Amino acid sequence: MTPRERWTAIFAGEKPDRIPTDYWATDEVTSRLCKELGCADKEALYTRLNIDGVIHVNPERTVKHFPGDPQADIWGLRRTAIQYGAGSYDEFANHPLADMTTVEELHAYPWPSPDDLDYERFRKELAAAPRHRWVRSGEFEPFLMYCALRGMENAMMDLLVEQEFVDTALEYIFTYHHAVNERIFEIGKGRIDVTYVAEDLGGQTALLFGIPEIRKFILPRQKKMADLARSYGVHIFYHTDGAAFDIIPDLLDVTGIELLNPIQWRCPGMERERLVEAYGRRVIFHGAVDNQFTLPFGTAAEVRQEILDNIRIFSGARWICAPCHNLQPVTPTVNITTMYETIHEFGRM
Amino acid sequence: MEDLQKLYDAILTGNAKVSKEVTQQALAAGSDPQALVQKYMIPAMDEVGRRYEANEYFVPELLISARAMKASLELIRPLLAARGAEPAGRVVIGTVKGDLHDIGKNLVAAMLEGAGFEVIDLGVDVPPEKFIAALNEKKANLVAMSALLTTTMNSMKTTIEAFKAAGIRGNIKVMIGGAPVTEKYAEEIGADGYSTNANGAVALARKLVAA
Repeated sequence: MTPRERWTAIFAGEKPDRIPTDYWATDEVTSRLCKELGCADKEALYTRLNIDGVIHVNPERTVKHFPGDPQADIWGLRRTAIQYGAGSYDEFANHPLADMTTVEELHAYPWPSPDDLDYERFRKELAAAPRHRWVRSGEFEPFLMYCALRGMENAMMDLLVEQEFVDTALEYIFTYHHAVNERIFEIGKGRIDVTYVAEDLGGQTALLFGIPEIRKFILPRQKKMADLARSYGVHIFYHTDGAAFDIIPDLLDVTGIELLNPIQWRCPGMERERLVEAYGRRVIFHGAVDNQFTLPFGTAAEVRQEILDNIRIFSGARWICAPCHNLQPVTPTVNITTMYETIHEFGRM
Repeated sequence: MEDLQKLYDAILTGNAKVSKEVTQQALAAGSDPQALVQKYMIPAMDEVGRRYEANEYFVPELLISARAMKASLELIRPLLAARGAEPAGRVVIGTVKGDLHDIGKNLVAAMLEGAGFEVIDLGVDVPPEKFIAALNEKKANLVAMSALLTTTMNSMKTTIEAFKAAGIRGNIKVMIGGAPVTEKYAEEIGADGYSTNANGAVALARKLVAA
């Protein structure tokens, strides 16, 4: 089977020849792996490690910057690179909605336009994408964007005390993404396999927000976005970090998710056996290779054991083997190769 | 003192406007600032913590309660300082070098303040020498540091090593936190304790200062 055929089979509820795999990593890790394993590019890396990775194709922006601020992106956000020794990551340097107090200010804000994207180039890139892999297009994670625009603490408090404000801002963010996704699904008819719908609802030990707030502000727009994708035959890749067990029924029944990522099974309530028993017949589990302890700090033998455990535990369900979130530079190469070599050796179905 | 139940309720429900007003009125009427803290504010934040542990409160509720508590404490703190009241302990807190993720740290700081500790918040991306300078200057007996990322948690180890090199490790208790932190990791790097959440951090801090 090709990587495409494996993903298609598992989404269809059929048995692929082997457990499909996926790859999430920072650019630093990908560069390092390519260099150390002698791979010219990501496709060569996927071939070398037998990764059924999905190709991401999204339209570039034609308008790059916020009106009057060449340092900011189209949302008005500036970024700054934070060095931590082994690498760096971008953090937001401003929160343009932080000081706003009225919805009128939101109405006056120059929100980005869905027109300012290069759809022609997107069409060409989509046509050029490898046919033997699944293609993912479109992204939707509006509360994360709201946190960036408003500042995380304000954003979270708004869910309780500035509900009209947060709802208005989320509607602007949603409207933009809905319009963009509608255009790209139309252009990509028959070529786009899956779209990314996400919101981090779980923390390390519990849900981040109460279920009433999730139901009020998060789920209805997720459902609309998922409905749009479904109307084009595009599958839903759903991501929420953390301890999210209590919200899974809503994700299944309201959003209508088909796949749940990243399965942080060390978080309370997210035990693999429990997930398989409760939802194994309704959802594909994606991830589940621990990226907080096993991959970065475990031994290769521990990584191998975790893969073997996962094969056993998920045998009664559908699982796509991948790291829980992006591999970070702190993770030894041998742990990464062990993950993919073990699933290749023992993942035959 | 029936009216002061409003202070407890305002903090518990995260109403900063009311907590500030009630505190102003109480102080104007001659209430003992220490009693406001001990009888209403600390119990309210303890209840907030209990509700968080019980999954009745989530991060937004913690944030608004902390904001209400701070609105009240800002009025009370100068009065406590003026009469030389000793805090439950002095804590220097910050996210470690390379890490800017501070919502957890801010919650721990707020809960510690709500529990009667004096909190010296150094903010984010704090290098070891800055922790050391603050510990020395403020005569703090506790240091609390956090990291969200697997890539930055090693800075907690190097910071503790710096405390040893500076000869102050024996004078202070070190508590750590953050998503990837475990008890095993805390032991490995020689911290005195760790907590998975802000409420647990208060219990830990109380235990460490009593030890």
